[in-house]
Amino acid sequence: MEQHVMNSIEQSLNNNQPLSSQTLASLRSLIINPTTSDSSLSSLLDALTRSLRLTRDSVFLHHCLKLLTDLSARRPHLSPFAVDLLRSDSLFSSASPRLVGESLSALLSLTSSQNDIDAARFVSLCLGPSVPVRLWLLKNAEKFAIRESVLLAVFLGFTRDPFPYVRKAAVDGLVKLCKNGDFNDRDVIEGCYCRAVELLRDAEDNVRSAAVRAVYDWGKLLVISSEERNKQDSSDAVFIQLCCMVRDMSMEVRLEAFEALGKIGLVSEDILLQTLFKKVLGINKDKIYKPIKVFEISASAAAGAFVHGLEDEFSEVRMSACYSLHTFTVFSSQFAGEALNLLMDMLNDDSKIVRLQALNTMHHMATCNHLKVEEIHMHSFLSTLFDSCSVIRSATRKILKLAKLMKLELFKLCIDGLLGNLETYPQLEPAFGGKLGFDSTRVAAFLVLAISAPLSNESDVCGVPSRIFSYAVTWLGRISYALSDVMNRETLLAYLSKCSRSSTISLADFKIKEALPTVKGDMPSHLCSEVGSPVSMPLWQKGVETFDHHHQKLFLGKSGTHLEYGLRECDELRQSVNLVFRKVKDLWSLVQLGCTNEALKAISRACKEEVASFTTDSPGSAGAVAFTLQYLRVIKLLAAVWEHLMPTKKLNCYGVGKLELLLGKLDRRLREIRNKFIGLSKAEELQILELIVVACLLRLSKIEICCYDTAMKKLSSIISHVEILRKGGPIEPSHFIIEVKKLLNDIGSSSGGSTCKPLLFKKLIDSFSLHQFVLGGSPRHINAELEVPGNDSENPLPFIPGIPASIPLAITLYNVLSEHRLWLRISMGEESTQFVFLDLNLIRSSDEVREFTFVAPFYLTPKAISFALRVSIGIECLQENVHQVKAFGGPKRELAYLCPEEEIFLCKSTKW
Amino acid sequence: MAIDSLVLGAGQEVGKSCVVVSINGKRIMFDCGMHMGYTDSRRYPDFSLISNTGDFDNALTCVVVTHFHLDHIGALPYFTEVCGYKGPIYMTYPTKALAPLMLEDYRKNMDRRGEDEQFTSDHITECMKKVIPVDLKQTVQVDKDLQIRAYYAGHVIGAAMFYAKVGDAAMVYTGDYNMTPDRHLGAAQIDRLQLDLVITESTYATTIRDSRYGREREFLKAVHTCIAAGGKVLIPTFALGRAQELCILLEDYWERMNLKVPIYFSAGLTIQANMYYKMLINWTSQKIKETYATRNAFDFKNVRNFDRSLINAPGPCVLFATPGMIVGGFSLEVFMQWAPSEMNLVTLPGYCVAGTIGHKLMSGKPTKIDLDKDTQIDVRCQIHQLSFSPHTDAKGIMDLVKFLSPKHAILVHGEKPKMATLKERIQSELGIPCYCPANNETVTVPSTHYVKADASETFIRSCLNPNFKFSTYSSVDKSYLDSKYSKAASGLQVSDERVAEGILVVEKGKKAKVIHQDELLLMLGDKKHEVQFAYCFPMHTERLQKTRTEELPSADTLLCDLDKCTLINQLSMKLSNELSDANILDLGEQLQVESFRVSICSKNSCPHRLSHSVHNDSESVFLCCHWSLRDEKLAWKIISIMKSSSPHTT
Repeated sequence: MEQHVMNSIEQSLNNNQPLSSQTLASLRSLIINPTTSDSSLSSLLDALTRSLRLTRDSVFLHHCLKLLTDLSARRPHLSPFAVDLLRSDSLFSSASPRLVGESLSALLSLTSSQNDIDAARFVSLCLGPSVPVRLWLLKNAEKFAIRESVLLAVFLGFTRDPFPYVRKAAVDGLVKLCKNGDFNDRDVIEGCYCRAVELLRDAEDNVRSAAVRAVYDWGKLLVISSEERNKQDSSDAVFIQLCCMVRDMSMEVRLEAFEALGKIGLVSEDILLQTLFKKVLGINKDKIYKPIKVFEISASAAAGAFVHGLEDEFSEVRMSACYSLHTFTVFSSQFAGEALNLLMDMLNDDSKIVRLQALNTMHHMATCNHLKVEEIHMHSFLSTLFDSCSVIRSATRKILKLAKLMKLELFKLCIDGLLGNLETYPQLEPAFGGKLGFDSTRVAAFLVLAISAPLSNESDVCGVPSRIFSYAVTWLGRISYALSDVMNRETLLAYLSKCSRSSTISLADFKIKEALPTVKGDMPSHLCSEVGSPVSMPLWQKGVETFDHHHQKLFLGKSGTHLEYGLRECDELRQSVNLVFRKVKDLWSLVQLGCTNEALKAISRACKEEVASFTTDSPGSAGAVAFTLQYLRVIKLLAAVWEHLMPTKKLNCYGVGKLELLLGKLDRRLREIRNKFIGLSKAEELQILELIVVACLLRLSKIEICCYDTAMKKLSSIISHVEILRKGGPIEPSHFIIEVKKLLNDIGSSSGGSTCKPLLFKKLIDSFSLHQFVLGGSPRHINAELEVPGNDSENPLPFIPGIPASIPLAITLYNVLSEHRLWLRISMGEESTQFVFLDLNLIRSSDEVREFTFVAPFYLTPKAISFALRVSIGIECLQENVHQVKAFGGPKRELAYLCPEEEIFLCKSTKW
Repeated sequence: MAIDSLVLGAGQEVGKSCVVVSINGKRIMFDCGMHMGYTDSRRYPDFSLISNTGDFDNALTCVVVTHFHLDHIGALPYFTEVCGYKGPIYMTYPTKALAPLMLEDYRKNMDRRGEDEQFTSDHITECMKKVIPVDLKQTVQVDKDLQIRAYYAGHVIGAAMFYAKVGDAAMVYTGDYNMTPDRHLGAAQIDRLQLDLVITESTYATTIRDSRYGREREFLKAVHTCIAAGGKVLIPTFALGRAQELCILLEDYWERMNLKVPIYFSAGLTIQANMYYKMLINWTSQKIKETYATRNAFDFKNVRNFDRSLINAPGPCVLFATPGMIVGGFSLEVFMQWAPSEMNLVTLPGYCVAGTIGHKLMSGKPTKIDLDKDTQIDVRCQIHQLSFSPHTDAKGIMDLVKFLSPKHAILVHGEKPKMATLKERIQSELGIPCYCPANNETVTVPSTHYVKADASETFIRSCLNPNFKFSTYSSVDKSYLDSKYSKAASGLQVSDERVAEGILVVEKGKKAKVIHQDELLLMLGDKKHEVQFAYCFPMHTERLQKTRTEELPSADTLLCDLDKCTLINQLSMKLSNELSDANILDLGEQLQVESFRVSICSKNSCPHRLSHSVHNDSESVFLCCHWSLRDEKLAWKIISIMKSSSPHTT
């Protein structure tokens, strides 16, 4: 078959005859058939090339084009030849613009890179009589590398085309150009803007909606290019121009108009207010804007733009209008107030999405302190609490949480509404933060709190029964979590306790000092201890005004105060962390008593959960949190090991193995806590060393598992380290350390140290008691992230067996100093491990975060089809003097790993 | 050609809408309404003005009715059955379906009041048989020349605006319309059309209404408060339109708030109307159309039928009852029972005719109402007035007229002083001539008339190829497009002059023809003439002369080529300094700016030289300039630059 077809081609070509359509059809079957050999396909290409020289028949050319596209789609390696042929003149110079268009689109689909059709040809094709080709070219203009100036001329010209779709494509092109391009020439900008404005009156909906976009985008440039003093006016003029389109008869145009309106940032208040009133406001009467010399626009055109939008028949438009409102409520409280009147009515809308958007906009207003709810709003507003849709109800509660109510009556109405909300939907209301037990009274207490917090200062909270507050106290943890962005736990507790005592309480004369003594009794001890601290009471000291101030800081994020806030938060964090440590210390006594399980549970439950809820946003807090977690891990392991020393516990074989494992783990954790944090004070370091000493002693006390020499070496090195620390500054080692030192001296002075005395060690250990760790500074956590971009078991890296493979690693290092020695540990299965040194001097960046790509070599590639590697980054523990690792060329000391192991997949390369 | 609009009703008043428009020989009657305020001859439009002989069939091409309100359709049975019009009548499907209900209701009421019967039940049936229903946006070819098309108008179900076109003249008659949607109907919707005339209603010619949401909110609040306190709500309403709108509003609210209080519809017309609404979903608002796939919005979930035994049943409820103004019927019956309790609520429609109970309730809150001599009602219930209106407000009218941008506008269906204000606004703000004729007046406006012409092949071809032009220089690089674009001053503008470049040739006895400008000369068999200006003036070149004499003492009288070039070159530099944006071409012995050319005149007696300037002084040289008409200003500017610079030329 193959041969037969080739022969017939040869024949007709030799006779200088173009290929018949029948031959072309059989060519196609050859191309489609996957078994056709490459050699016949290349000769087929040759034949096509020759044949193209013979004829200009458009049917033939069309066929040819199809064949070439098929060919290059199916045989990628032949594609360059086919593309060359496509590019050749024969197709482009065809008389049929349709064919030219098709060959262009074929070219585009075959080559991903930008195509180099020259500008003159592009323009002449555009100017040709074929409308579809023109349309296609305009739509795909950006795929050709054509100068912006030429494109601008072409697009601008075709906005005059009699065909609406061409006009639309041209306007779309102008919009794209405006977004990507760099135009400084005022004339060009004005010209394009004017043309876009003219097209707002086009007869076709499509063109009008494209024109709206163009007016917005070119209007933006117009504003930018205006002189400083005219900027506001130009921006207003563009805004008004868009406002004119909100009454268009086409839904698409209106939607487009509202989307554009919402994006304009800079609008003067008078104009904004005008959009909320259909009547022209006095101030806007006779106000004329002249963004460009040639035309003017009257401010009255903006009248009622948003009113119309919110009244629109289509929910899409109403929603868009609601959404657009929210950008402007930030700028002007007056506008926000007026807009609220309209928005409240939207809560009666029949579309759920619109209601939700209206609520979201209100929430946005509340966050920027522009939400002023008044009595006439209350009916529609609170009715959303009874809405059958739970999303709407929860959105309303979210607003209530932030809303500032001016009057006590409003507050009462809110309470009634919320209680009613709970009565109507008792089983359905999810809580703000986690899930609450669905006891409606408790939820009520919670909700009451949510709204009573921001209550303004002059009113009395008399309407709320004190019982509710006492209920709330029992749910303090959850509630404070929900309110974490508004007030901290201590404040809340103090407030609650006070409220639950007296039925009438005025916030104004609520003094924290008076409240404190009464509070102390009921509170869990760990909370109570810190209540008196001035730092944790930032909100109450200056009364409610401070609250407002605090609020602003939260939401406006003014740089100076923000930092201040961050520091304060850091302090608060440190206190909470120390609370955790204190708790750990208390729990340690449980361990010593033998209730290890209970202690372990308590540590993981109470402490870990608490630590997890700490925010790690503020600078420096991440380190503290990481440190705390690490400390907790160490203590947990220590407790687990401790258990084995209890006299009640019989050590069996199984137990020995387990203990050894645990001790190994403990060593690792201790190594990590010692090496992975920098910026610890000496006292802090000493406490860690003490823990290491305990670990050593534990090892020594168990004769079954002890490698006596190593352990002793380690112990003495630690003790000497303690000595160094002590000499450096005024710190006193604990009684326990002193004892250990004594013992060491004794052993050293006695018989050369080869006898082990587990009982002695055991006695020492019994004298150990855990001190409360006090975190004074903010430690920094040495940390790393390791990633091989794009690699997984589906997409392995290529390698050639026996030849080293390169592994590109994306590495991010945190807080690594230049004196640290980092190693990459690359291991393949169990059998082979290789270390690669990461020379930090080669990476120039700050100590805090280093981000770079490192290409690691892996030498021992196995003779396999595929394999997996495990890579991690370790820091060499410089302070450990014991050399244990014997890897060749590897690190001399133990490594503490900075990141979890990353698995990397490699696969034998098929290409040689 | 002209469009004549004869206003037979609703001219400077509200009621009996009827406008007869003559347009290119066709006569269309838009609406055929009756005036509810009169019982005498003023009740109907004066049909005799259409035809003295009563031969309406020949006098009118067709009748178009916009919607089923009586002030738009009330006179139709009279016109067809009594006056004898037998021509085609067009209205939308819903109007055709609901109009008989309305007419029948009116006829019965007339009967009840003991008035003369104007038409019978059979008349209505017969009249409706003549009606041809149309759909929205369906173009109906009434006859060879006349096309009509209906557009959605909001207002009431089935209401339409009608577009009519005869030949090239086109107009729109709006009927009543609403530019904002309500709970059950959408907003008016129309295409951007080329129109000679728009006839629009102007009920609210000066009022600008607030958002309807406020009114809805008040209504819902009043109803909710009442039923929450255990009261009963009576909503006396007209059967079609308002009842459905309010019911959808309540139904939606009930749904959202999970309310279980029953809503009742009094039996009769309302139930029947609901059935029609259920079938006419296509004519309702977007929302109802969208939800139709899952649920028919007029299948009211919470609505039940009412019967008399429930009037005094305990517990809260909401009741819709007819008629709207509590003139009698069921709504009066219920009102009498419920009015004495403070817990209950009665809502009133926006407009109540004087003398009805509704009107009495509206004007201050009476405590007692005398129904007749014997019956007195003790009114203690709460009253809530509804102010929903299905008409567009002044801004809506302006918006519609602005959107349509017709050449002329006529206002009908409004109060005279207010219409005058609106008319002024349309004329001053939109620049559209506007009229508000009284009844029986005729307004004549010119209409568009197109001449049909053939087009030459070259012209058609030139139309296919874009030919846009930019004015003013911009950063646009046009190096390779230069031939296609010309430059002028002031602002970047783009134009595509394909069509404007044609030339209309009307030869005697032949059809008009449009040809391409290049073909004109060929067709006329004539040569191209061009007006060319020429001017020759001397220029003082002392310094130049000197250098020349030193270098070339042999040639005294003639400037050599080299010198000519130098001079031209200097001029060119001078000019390019002065005219920064001009494109100056230095062609060696000649200088060219657009069509302006200047060269050194070597002739002794140049015809373009003005005699008084001749000094024939050896130290000056003559510059001869030529330019064509289009660059006249530029030419004189250049000449003045050259003249002013001549003594200093170096």
